[in-house]
Amino acid sequence: MRLPLLGLLLGLLSFVSALSASGSKLLVVIEDEADKGKYSQFWTDLENRGFQLTYRSPKDASLSLFLHGEPAYSHLLLLPVRAKGLGPALTPNLLVDFVNGGSNVLLALSGEQSVPSAINSLLLELDINLPADRTSLVVDHFNFDSKSAAEKHDVILLPSPEFKKGVKNYFSVDGLIAFPRAVGQVLGNASPLLSSVVKAPSTAYVYNPKEEGESVEDPFATGSQINIVSAFQARNSARFTVLGSAEALEDKWFSASVQLPVPGSKAEKSSNKAFAQKLSAWTFMELGVLKVGQIQHYLNEGSQKGISNTSEVASIDVNPEIYRIKNDVHYSIELSEWEIDHWAPFSPPQGDSLQLEFSMLSPFHRLNLQPKAQTANSTIYTSEFKLPDQHGIFNFFVEYRRPFFTNVEEKRTVTVRHFAHDEWPRSYVISGAWPWISGIWVTVGGWIVFVALWLYSKPAEPKVKTR
Amino acid sequence: MAVDTAVPGADFFFKGESGRNTRGLLRLLILVTIAAAAIAARLFSVIRFESIIHEFDPWFNFRATKYLVNHGFYKFWDWFDDRTWHPLGRVTGGTLYPGLMVTSGVIYHLLRFLTLPVDIRNICVLLAPAFSGLTAWASYLLTSEMSDSPSAGLLAAVFMGITPGYISRSVAGSYDNEAIAIFLLVFTFFLWIKAVKQGSIMWGALCALFYGYMVSAWGGYVFITNLLPLHAFVLICMGRFSARLYVAFTTWYALGTLASMQIPFVGFLPIRNSDHMSALGVFGLMQLVGFAEYIRHQLPSKQFQTLLRAMVLVVFGLAFGGLVLLTVSGVVAPWSGRFYSLWDTGYAKIHIPIIASVSEHQPTAWPAFFFDLNMLIWLFPAGVYMCFRNLKDEQVFIVIYAVLASYFAGVMVRLMLTLTPIVCVAAAMALSQILDQFLVASQPSEPTESTKANGNANGNADIKDKLAAAIPESLRSTKAPLVGIYSYLSKSVITGAVTAYLLLFVLHCTWVTSNAYSSPSVVLASRLPDGSQHIIDDYREAYYWLRQNTKEDAKVMSWWDYGYQIGGMADRPTLVDNNTWNNTHIATVGKAMSSREEVSYPIMRQHEVDYVLVVFGGLLGYSGDDINKFLWMVRIAEGIWPDEVKERDFFTARGEYRVDDEATPTMRNSLMYKMSYYNYNSLFPAGQATDRVRGSKLPAQGPELSTLEEAFTSENWIIRIYKVKDLDNLGRSHQEAVGFEKGNKRKKAGKRRGPRTLRVD
Amino acid sequence: MKLLHSISVAALALSSAVNAASSWTFDEATLQVTGKGAEAAKQKITAGSPVSSSSPIVLPASSTLKVILTAQEGKTGKKPHQAFLTLQEVDSGLEESFAFSVKDNGKGKVDVSSKDLPFQFLTSSKPLKASITIASFGSSTPYNGHAFNLKIENDSSSPPAVPSAPERYTNKPEIHHIFRSDPKSPPTIISLVFTLAVIVTLPGLIGAWLLLGGNFDHLGKAFGASPIAHGLFLGSIVAMEGVFFLYYSSWNLFQTLPAAAIVGTVAYVSGSKALTEVQDRRLAGER
Repeated sequence: MRLPLLGLLLGLLSFVSALSASGSKLLVVIEDEADKGKYSQFWTDLENRGFQLTYRSPKDASLSLFLHGEPAYSHLLLLPVRAKGLGPALTPNLLVDFVNGGSNVLLALSGEQSVPSAINSLLLELDINLPADRTSLVVDHFNFDSKSAAEKHDVILLPSPEFKKGVKNYFSVDGLIAFPRAVGQVLGNASPLLSSVVKAPSTAYVYNPKEEGESVEDPFATGSQINIVSAFQARNSARFTVLGSAEALEDKWFSASVQLPVPGSKAEKSSNKAFAQKLSAWTFMELGVLKVGQIQHYLNEGSQKGISNTSEVASIDVNPEIYRIKNDVHYSIELSEWEIDHWAPFSPPQGDSLQLEFSMLSPFHRLNLQPKAQTANSTIYTSEFKLPDQHGIFNFFVEYRRPFFTNVEEKRTVTVRHFAHDEWPRSYVISGAWPWISGIWVTVGGWIVFVALWLYSKPAEPKVKTR
Repeated sequence: MAVDTAVPGADFFFKGESGRNTRGLLRLLILVTIAAAAIAARLFSVIRFESIIHEFDPWFNFRATKYLVNHGFYKFWDWFDDRTWHPLGRVTGGTLYPGLMVTSGVIYHLLRFLTLPVDIRNICVLLAPAFSGLTAWASYLLTSEMSDSPSAGLLAAVFMGITPGYISRSVAGSYDNEAIAIFLLVFTFFLWIKAVKQGSIMWGALCALFYGYMVSAWGGYVFITNLLPLHAFVLICMGRFSARLYVAFTTWYALGTLASMQIPFVGFLPIRNSDHMSALGVFGLMQLVGFAEYIRHQLPSKQFQTLLRAMVLVVFGLAFGGLVLLTVSGVVAPWSGRFYSLWDTGYAKIHIPIIASVSEHQPTAWPAFFFDLNMLIWLFPAGVYMCFRNLKDEQVFIVIYAVLASYFAGVMVRLMLTLTPIVCVAAAMALSQILDQFLVASQPSEPTESTKANGNANGNADIKDKLAAAIPESLRSTKAPLVGIYSYLSKSVITGAVTAYLLLFVLHCTWVTSNAYSSPSVVLASRLPDGSQHIIDDYREAYYWLRQNTKEDAKVMSWWDYGYQIGGMADRPTLVDNNTWNNTHIATVGKAMSSREEVSYPIMRQHEVDYVLVVFGGLLGYSGDDINKFLWMVRIAEGIWPDEVKERDFFTARGEYRVDDEATPTMRNSLMYKMSYYNYNSLFPAGQATDRVRGSKLPAQGPELSTLEEAFTSENWIIRIYKVKDLDNLGRSHQEAVGFEKGNKRKKAGKRRGPRTLRVD
Repeated sequence: MKLLHSISVAALALSSAVNAASSWTFDEATLQVTGKGAEAAKQKITAGSPVSSSSPIVLPASSTLKVILTAQEGKTGKKPHQAFLTLQEVDSGLEESFAFSVKDNGKGKVDVSSKDLPFQFLTSSKPLKASITIASFGSSTPYNGHAFNLKIENDSSSPPAVPSAPERYTNKPEIHHIFRSDPKSPPTIISLVFTLAVIVTLPGLIGAWLLLGGNFDHLGKAFGASPIAHGLFLGSIVAMEGVFFLYYSSWNLFQTLPAAAIVGTVAYVSGSKALTEVQDRRLAGER
């Protein structure tokens, strides 16, 4: 939880030079210096956006992801390599440490080259499965680029990705995106950290051109279970994006003209450039980064009732450590979202909501926070509620984990105590207690009269004879 | 009474008015000396170790006292403790007996007022010895009410002062409720006897006042609540109902019940709980009998009296039936579990393992009686017998107390404490009788008449008269006895023997105190081969590590035994502690300890546990460790989750509890086992790891932990602390993550069998 | 959206099948359900016209669906690269494809048994939509058409194991704590009646005392004998009640205790004097 905050802080410090929220140092691992030119538009775009690119070959002895035990780069772009391994500087363990250190990775694969086993086992840790034979491609006989792959059908054309309700779409582009010779990924079902960005169409399938040239009998994966682009966001909000087709980033495809194999379709310019921009912007934390500003909770009763609407909030006891059961409290949290180059007020996507839990072991309250006010670059969400009638150590807990947003996990621990002995209603307020109270005072009166009688009574005249 | 002396000048000091003063002064001096001896005997631990709070509960009392002193009385009253029982918290102010802390607080403020700034810790450490002096004085008073012999009281005082049965709970540092409660117990009994003897409202009210103090100090007050009514009831049954008894009992009951209800922890228990119903019942009976007596006094008709008696019985029966009905319907709480466990020693083990798991709740082993009471235990029956010889109201009390306390002491080791006072009193009565008989008895002068004419009102003399009268004149030896009880020979032999016994008793008490009861248990002492003392200070080492290396609010999970110490010494929140108010919460910890890591981890996450602390004695041979307590954890957890934790799974097929190669898989996969033996192999050559407590060789392959990481292990490995890992950053299970770290390649799904799993968004 | 997309693609494919000469299709297709308690009737499927959706094919538990067809490019049987039977769960849009094993002459078959199906299919409330895809490289038009609907029947004695839903980050249902109800007093009128009944006892008691001959006639005498003692004693007793009242209304314990101690001491000292006077009167036979 601390790490992303730290990252955000660092991001703020380097605000001037970089536009990413988490630093500007980007390491590009590219095997062949000669291949660099293929991606020149992409590099220019990144540099224009403020990233400091460092190019290294995986074989480079000086290549190291870490400096003094901390990640040396904020971002890593891994382009496909021909070698079987990635070398000693990029072992799966080091890459996992790199991600655990809060850095982001954009991994581009290519169906032309076999995927190194290091990548394979790294992706397995993220619960992303690649075809076992490592040279398989995604092919679709219905949605391919009829201009460049009329025979092989291995350049898939897909429209802008769409997501289900409540998920913010950072990747929408106009027009078709071309994914030449993509490596399909299959995501495990268990992990909530994974999300697919671009899925293959339902008629697509994965095949190995070397072994399954004639027909497929047992495809690795079919239909929309194949992901061409998938995203992983670790618990520390570090992002790991797998792009199935590295070629899609090449200059060639940035300005290619593509056409669907359907009669009546027109040739159009591919949207690869826009998509590459959005994908890298998201991966390198230019999009979907949330920041928590001020968190306040305070009593909302007695003299402080409704104080949130006034300017007196500063003068009261804000964020006390202890409350009493059944207190009315006010909670507010300030949230901003990084939009390319500035902090903007955050609002959850349609159909989604920011929720506050008041929990001990399990939530007692789970409330949707309402946007109450907006500043230039943040939204203030508030909620007012009555504390439960259970004493204990509770947490004001805002956990906002959504696909494509960095994780917000804000826990404020407070003690909720029981009624003190003098906070109960007084006995005279309780009508059921009146007989008892009057009983006490009757006893008091009777006692005083008795004492007086005992002290001052004169014996009656001896009317009654003693026995 | 005074021994004739040859010095004429001494007469001034021993006879008449000034003689009384002298004796009073002497008595005072003796009592002060006894109190000083009682205090001194309890200081072994301070001298040997340091001024430190002992054991477990005292640490809580100490912490509570500090809170009281720092925050004031009302804050203490409403104290909600958010550093124990995380995350439930504890309404501490309302669930403790505040007497002890308030007493220390008052002493603290008093000393401050007298410009004696004493550290609160020292007050707490020395409170128990100080009160033991008062206890000696109280037992002097109580015994003096029982016996005419002036030596009985002093003997009782000295016995009470040094008997190990009481010292065991009142050495310096043993800052527990019993420290003041035993004094209050004895003193309340004294006041009760006084009230019954005199029928005085004042003594009854004083008795109620001290009863109230007792209620505020110790849960054992129920013993008084039941013993006094029982005494009254027996007296009524014996036909000894009197106005004195009526006044004493009703005053005590009315005021005492009101006083006890002022303690928040007790509240309405006195009218809602079965444990207190006997007092209420006897109170009602007392009114009935009093009324009947009054009527009988007014109307002497025979038939009417029979009718009246029948009526009393019927009303009593009806009231009793009503009580049973109320209990069944739930208005009156049924007997508490602790109460049942007093009658059936097996009850607790089956129904409330949490009570049975405490060692001091086990039945007493018979040598313990000799160990704790030495010669008093055989003088005790004699003293009780002596009460029968002269059975007045107060002697009846002694008899009842003796019978009840003997039974309870047999059931529970801990209740030896309530037996001790009565043993001291009864033994003192017996011994004083012997001493008086042999030291004072002078040879009777010839004729019986003259003795009577002397008008000696002394009871002993009466007995002598009777003895003399009983012995046939014809026996020659009695006329000029050489070997009879009047001879100096027998006197000196008996006196010598008694003195020897007394000296041996002192020797025994000192030895027991020094060797058995003066260990703080926080610090262990052992002897090196050369005889020098070696201090094992692992507990404090570990607690201070926690204090200095963890976050202020790092939650520590441990078995409940160590909860108070962690709270007191490490000042870190705990999940469970020695105040076992929430069985489920304890069972949760038990479940976490006795389950596999995959089961335990979510429990620990849910409870926000940061560190887990275990006690492991395997290296040192320290037998009070968690593996030996482990079965209790299992049992308590099984009580709540019988399907998930099963005690049977921790025993081998042959029913053995083992930790070696033959340990069951459940045992070896349990978190407790793993935490205890994690990395233990590394201390030994391969395959040589041995557990010195269980005396068994451990498996060659040590356990592996994935959800926890070792944070600290104390010098002698007694305390091991583990840090709970955060969830894996990549969403893997910890086992997988650890496997990956170690370089194990994850198995790629081979040839697909069965249906595919489809990812759902 | 995926669904729409694939349907539109299918429609396009169909339309293109009509006019393009070299397009993929199939012929001689039959389906058959074999297994315990299933009718072994064969059913014909024709390309482009699905089996009526009103009567889905039923696949009972532990039985197998067998589909045989001959893939054709144009009119001749040929082996396509892709020959799939795709099942789709309509509600969630989940799909699973089963590849035909096709011979060179285009004859292909596929067996789908219920144990090969993901649990979502087994627990689907609606029939599954089955479609056939036949396609290959090159320029020939691929075929993709809805073939039939398939209803899965589970063995009622052993329902399919449904794993717990995997965690997904989304918003959760709101929770509002339900408070315990406050303790209730009995109706005020009853309390008032009882209060009245209690209060009435005081005059009743005083009346009874007066009736029995109680009086304050010795007041003067007592005060005459020891005015200070009596005044203080009676005063301190009243004052003690006053202390109690103040404790009830405003004081805390530490204000009450000293006051009570002072008043108590006064009561004790003056009381012993005053009571001595009372005793004197009693001894004098005046009480």
